[in-house]
Amino acid sequence: MKNIFVFLICLTPLFINAQSQMPNVRLKNLDNDYKNVYEDYNKKDKVYVFSFWATWCAPCLSELESISENIEEWKEEVDFDVIAVSVDDARTVKRVKPLINGKDWDYEVLLDTNQELKRTLQISNVPHVIVVKNKKVVYVHNGYVEGAEEELFEEIKSL
Amino acid sequence: MRKILLFVIVLVATFTSNAQDSIQKKEKIKGRFFGGVESNSQYYIDDSKLGDFNYDNHFRSNSYINANYNYGKFTAGVQVEAYEPNALLNYNPKFEGTNLATYYLNYKSDKIDATAGYFYEQFGSGLLLRFWEDRALGINNALRGGKIIYRPTNEITLKAIYGQQRTGFDVANSDIFGFDSEFYLTDWLNFETSDLSVGASYVGRYEKIDEADLENPDFNELTNAFGVRVNYSQNSFYLNGEANFKSKDAALSLQNTISNELVKSGSAYLLNFGYTKSGLGVDVMLRRLENMTFLSEREPERIDANNTSLNYNDKILNYVPGLTKQHHSNLANIYVYQAQYQVSYLGEDKMKSGETGGQIDVYYRFKKGTSLGGKYGTRVAVNLASWYNLPGKYRYFPREYDTEFFGVGQRYFSDYNIEIKKRIKKNWRTGFYYIHQYYDKSLIEGGDVVNADILSLESTWSFQNSKSIRVEMEHMWADADRGNWAGGTVEYNFNNSLSMYVWDIYNYGAHYETDKNHYYNIGGAYRFGASRLAVNFGRQRGGLVCVGGVCRYVPQNTGFTLNFSTSF
Repeated sequence: MKNIFVFLICLTPLFINAQSQMPNVRLKNLDNDYKNVYEDYNKKDKVYVFSFWATWCAPCLSELESISENIEEWKEEVDFDVIAVSVDDARTVKRVKPLINGKDWDYEVLLDTNQELKRTLQISNVPHVIVVKNKKVVYVHNGYVEGAEEELFEEIKSL
Repeated sequence: MRKILLFVIVLVATFTSNAQDSIQKKEKIKGRFFGGVESNSQYYIDDSKLGDFNYDNHFRSNSYINANYNYGKFTAGVQVEAYEPNALLNYNPKFEGTNLATYYLNYKSDKIDATAGYFYEQFGSGLLLRFWEDRALGINNALRGGKIIYRPTNEITLKAIYGQQRTGFDVANSDIFGFDSEFYLTDWLNFETSDLSVGASYVGRYEKIDEADLENPDFNELTNAFGVRVNYSQNSFYLNGEANFKSKDAALSLQNTISNELVKSGSAYLLNFGYTKSGLGVDVMLRRLENMTFLSEREPERIDANNTSLNYNDKILNYVPGLTKQHHSNLANIYVYQAQYQVSYLGEDKMKSGETGGQIDVYYRFKKGTSLGGKYGTRVAVNLASWYNLPGKYRYFPREYDTEFFGVGQRYFSDYNIEIKKRIKKNWRTGFYYIHQYYDKSLIEGGDVVNADILSLESTWSFQNSKSIRVEMEHMWADADRGNWAGGTVEYNFNNSLSMYVWDIYNYGAHYETDKNHYYNIGGAYRFGASRLAVNFGRQRGGLVCVGGVCRYVPQNTGFTLNFSTSF
């Protein structure tokens, strides 16, 4: 059993970055509407940036803040949208709406309250960014440091 | 077991051939393989100051492989877990060895979502039922059985579940039934500026009571729990409410046994409302819990001399987190509140039947160009939380209580805090945090009543090419327990992928010289795509480690840690 486990772990590098598309998962947005993360973000050649975050995650808030400061300028260059997927659970999910408005952010927010999407994508830590174009995952990154939003934008532009 | 492993390997093989196919015919991807790997290991060392490592095996690790295959409307998956040679310190010892942990087969169409095998679920805010996984806490309480979600229209969601709850690599000895419904009424009522949805749920737990354990119980083998909820919003205002009721059941004694001595029903009420508009958010949360312990087996399992399954968050059906702000300062996480939803008689002056209280959050943004906003704007967040025992009449022996619905009893915990974030220059951001905490440790884990004030200052300077440095200085003034603490963190980011940090917290205010300890840590992380590799060396402060309002006790220890995670 143990040996097979080790063998399977060794296999994993083969699959890294093999993630091909968003799963067929429905989440509620702040307007109480269901959105399917695979089906509903499908405008041809438009870039969708799914940013996984939580109200208690400081680097996540820094990342969304930095994107928010630049988003108007960037949107003039590229057709893209940011979808902020909150992984807050029942403890903190009620903070999402006042926080988003209090910070004056203009993102569509999806609530992954029991972490169905996070678990399906096997995301261990937030922040985590998944960029989708024409229903295909084209870029993934986890973690955030100051200035990384510029690199993210360069990636988006190059798609 | 072996068969299932073979099945996994065949899946892997199928995928590899499929992946090559899909490269050739990009348009027609039919099957899809996805999952992740996570491994957390630690080598514990003897520490001349904190003491030797007094457990078996200095090296311990927790590893998880999750693999799924999707083909059209069907998805199947497994999770294999390895705790070799033992689980990390203070994880449930029932996580032992390497084994198949969960498996499922799912069918999903527009209207039906059906699962057989292990599944996760939550009804409402989880006060009656939540099945979830949190690897940092060692929680995986998935239900093994079946689940059907039916959405006849966009306005109606119906769920039915049945199964047995996972514990270790086994399942608990009871049957869990559940039903949940949610109705979205806005369109039906022709609301134009407002939004309304309602929901109702039922959870049943059937656990046979052995006559050898308890003759003629004053309660039924089937425990019923009901809940109703409402969500309403109009323009900038919103309101959510939830009321839950649990039928008569034995309340656990201090020794975690059941008897006919105290047989009580339980209840949980939650009221949340708020107002938000651009630049302002206000949120109020009130909650009252009485006797809300809801376990898949009434009597917690004894694991060793000091611990039962409750200490490992095992066999718990509902999710009752402490409702306070999650701070990121190291010192603000020393006194963390755990929700007191259980009946617990610790002494004649410490008789608890639940908790009541609330918290308020205010977010405000001073606009750019105003005197307080400056060039970049200023963000302020205030959070006030206070939690109390339920007021009423209590009798110590034989145990009895009669609570009042309104009002408060002894105070357990308060946290009043303010956070101000300001960008001073294009490449310089600052943060200021002040936190006041009151913690009656005697009522919760035993110990002193502590008043603590924490001040924390944070600065981040960024340079070209995603290089940045973050410095945080913090201090805690505490009038009891381990006294004053000082702390500091320096974090350097070489680029978007590589970071290093060093931090230390020091309880220089402890009464005795020998109790003063530096808890230092040094480490780094490398991130690439969906993968992350992190290393750490340092000392873990003993106490509660809390994630998402749920806590686990960890003894202090010293060692090397290696974490790896990736998804595909």
